[in-house]
Amino acid sequence: MKGNYGIKSLFLILIIGLLTYISIAGLTIQGTNIDIPKVSENIRYGIDIRGGVRAVLTAPADVNPTNEQMEAAKQVVENRLDYQKVYDRTVLLEKNNKRIIVEIPWRQDEKEFDPNKAINELGMTAQLTFREVDKEKVDEYGRYLPLDDKIILKGDDVVKSTPETDPSTGKVYVALKLSSEGAKKFEEATGRLVGEPLAIFMDEQLISAPTVRQKITGDSAVIEINNPDPNAAIKEATELSNTINAGALPFKLEAVQIESISPTLGKSALDVILRAGLIAGILVILFMLLYYRLPGIIADIALLFQIVAQVLIISSVGMSLTLAGIAGIILTIGMGVDANVIIYERIKEEIRAGKTVKAAIDAGFDRAFAAIFDGNITTLIVAVVLYMLGSGPIQSFAFTLGLGVLLNFITAIVISRTFLRAISSYKVTKNRWLYGVRGGNSNV
Amino acid sequence: MFDFVGNRKYFFGFSALILIACIIALIYHQGMNLDIQFQGGTILEFQMKNPNVDLNKAINVAQQASGKIANAQTSYSLDTTNERVDLLVLNIASRLSEEEYDKVVAAIEENFEVKEGTKPTPRVVDPVMGKEMAAKSILAIVIAAALMVVYVWVRFKVMGGLLAGLASVVALLHDVMVMIALYAILQLPVNESFIAAILTIVGYSINDTIVIFDRIRENSTLLRKESLATIANKSISQSLSRTINTALTTIVCILTVYIFAAYYNIESIKLFVLPLLVGLISGTYSTIFIASPLWVVMKERQAKKLAASKPAKA
Repeated sequence: MKGNYGIKSLFLILIIGLLTYISIAGLTIQGTNIDIPKVSENIRYGIDIRGGVRAVLTAPADVNPTNEQMEAAKQVVENRLDYQKVYDRTVLLEKNNKRIIVEIPWRQDEKEFDPNKAINELGMTAQLTFREVDKEKVDEYGRYLPLDDKIILKGDDVVKSTPETDPSTGKVYVALKLSSEGAKKFEEATGRLVGEPLAIFMDEQLISAPTVRQKITGDSAVIEINNPDPNAAIKEATELSNTINAGALPFKLEAVQIESISPTLGKSALDVILRAGLIAGILVILFMLLYYRLPGIIADIALLFQIVAQVLIISSVGMSLTLAGIAGIILTIGMGVDANVIIYERIKEEIRAGKTVKAAIDAGFDRAFAAIFDGNITTLIVAVVLYMLGSGPIQSFAFTLGLGVLLNFITAIVISRTFLRAISSYKVTKNRWLYGVRGGNSNV
Repeated sequence: MFDFVGNRKYFFGFSALILIACIIALIYHQGMNLDIQFQGGTILEFQMKNPNVDLNKAINVAQQASGKIANAQTSYSLDTTNERVDLLVLNIASRLSEEEYDKVVAAIEENFEVKEGTKPTPRVVDPVMGKEMAAKSILAIVIAAALMVVYVWVRFKVMGGLLAGLASVVALLHDVMVMIALYAILQLPVNESFIAAILTIVGYSINDTIVIFDRIRENSTLLRKESLATIANKSISQSLSRTINTALTTIVCILTVYIFAAYYNIESIKLFVLPLLVGLISGTYSTIFIASPLWVVMKERQAKKLAASKPAKA
């Protein structure tokens, strides 16, 4: 038993050390796909910290949208930003002039700071169409041109889309579920166009143009992604599928004005809050060490794991991190110690009740488990509901909270438990003082 | 052992006082101080002579001239001849009347170097958090609270299930009420930080209450013969050092951020962290002094009703 937990503990320490190293310095292994940038360079900071882009979007001149259509267009833009985890954004509707004003933060890997490109990359005007093509009408690279009078399907004929990979061939594609009306149109067109190409466009850009082999009945269609790099293909498929799922714009949006905007707080605010976070972390670590002694060290290691894992995940999903978000993470540092506090208080009680240190650790852990479990599950319920129904800042908060709760739970159940079991089997660690309980060695 | 349950009238009374203060503040100030995200407003873009603008000063000037909450950013765009145009963008949380517009423009022109002969066109915008989004958020909170009651109901059968669920939700609403009171009394701007702060406290408060209820659940089976009040008092005392230590570490974290923000004078962080601080204290208070005593009161009342409905044996 003793050796078992000891080895497991060493293994955990190695993993935590490695994760900490990766988050501070990044990790690149030559000759493989592994290339993880360091966290400080990979986090997408919000507009408040790093500035971003403001764009004014309108309908094309020949379209005169109603207020309801403007509201719908605004909702689609919001949905698309939610799918991309750009929670720190502003989408304003200016009804008088029928315009939508959008503000988004710069991407984390932005180097050119070109506002036009930033807006294009969002695919904010993207409209999906399936079209017949005229084989004569191609651009200089031989790609089909979109023809306005030959549209077969539009984005609003699609009910749902999912990125998928064919397990046998490895081909990546986006699977579409069509509405009943869309299915009818698709069946008619594929029946008519056997042997002919059918082109799929996002706005003016051709995505693929497969040749129709037979009439397709039923409500499904696929868009193949032709990218030789499998990882890039999966990413492309996911992005395309998200854009389609976010809903079809009732009309095409055109950017009439694009400008860069300054951070509202600036770099100094970021430095201040990071320094505050560091000090707060040190204070908590010291408190745990002085109050709980030996188990306090375990709590501190567990806390380190929780913080490192949280920032690694936030940076890798590309979620925009605002000042409020950073303050939220600092709050989870405080809450993260809660599970440990519950366990150690329980252990102390059991030692005071006369149990041996080893028995007290076992009993304390088991008794504390129910409280930690129920507390975490109720909080998780709230996080999941807010994530599913909320948008923008609410979804951002739900994501951070849910992530924090899960990590908190893993930390308490796996890390703290393993370490505690490991130390409880050594003679030196049986001194009650080490657990913050007054008075000599425990009996045995 | 301190009698938490016996002294409940003081604790309930204290919370009732906060509720009354909240209502008075809401009536006196005619509601909360909504920022542009919640009530829409006017965006003004001034063309500036140079890009260096003191944003804090711009915010102050705009707020004084309009009497409304304002935000300022610098920006630039390229005009038709590809010439760079530096802009000062003001977001004012109100639809400006012509008179107010003139006042703001005059104040900015007086304090900053605005390009001659240019006037900003006011853009009137709808709130980001429109009615639809507000309705959706409230729905989300109602569903989350309902699910929470159901979960506690199932997991805390020993405590009478539904009553425990209701008591934990009341503790939660208590903390939300305290935060709304703070915003209403100090007239803090209600914006995205407000939502983030309220949700954070919701998360904290639930977890805090559940841990004490877990202790009551355990003691209810261990101490069957004791009265409900004794069980609740014992459970609160036994979990007290945990409640205080967790609150202390969390408050230390948030307080550190507040001190840094105050020292470097970063208003937006201060405005975000202060409500969190108050919410954490309220969350701890409601855990100790509201949730469990309330549960005892409701449970005793239920027992009395049951006893009254059953005819006494002769």
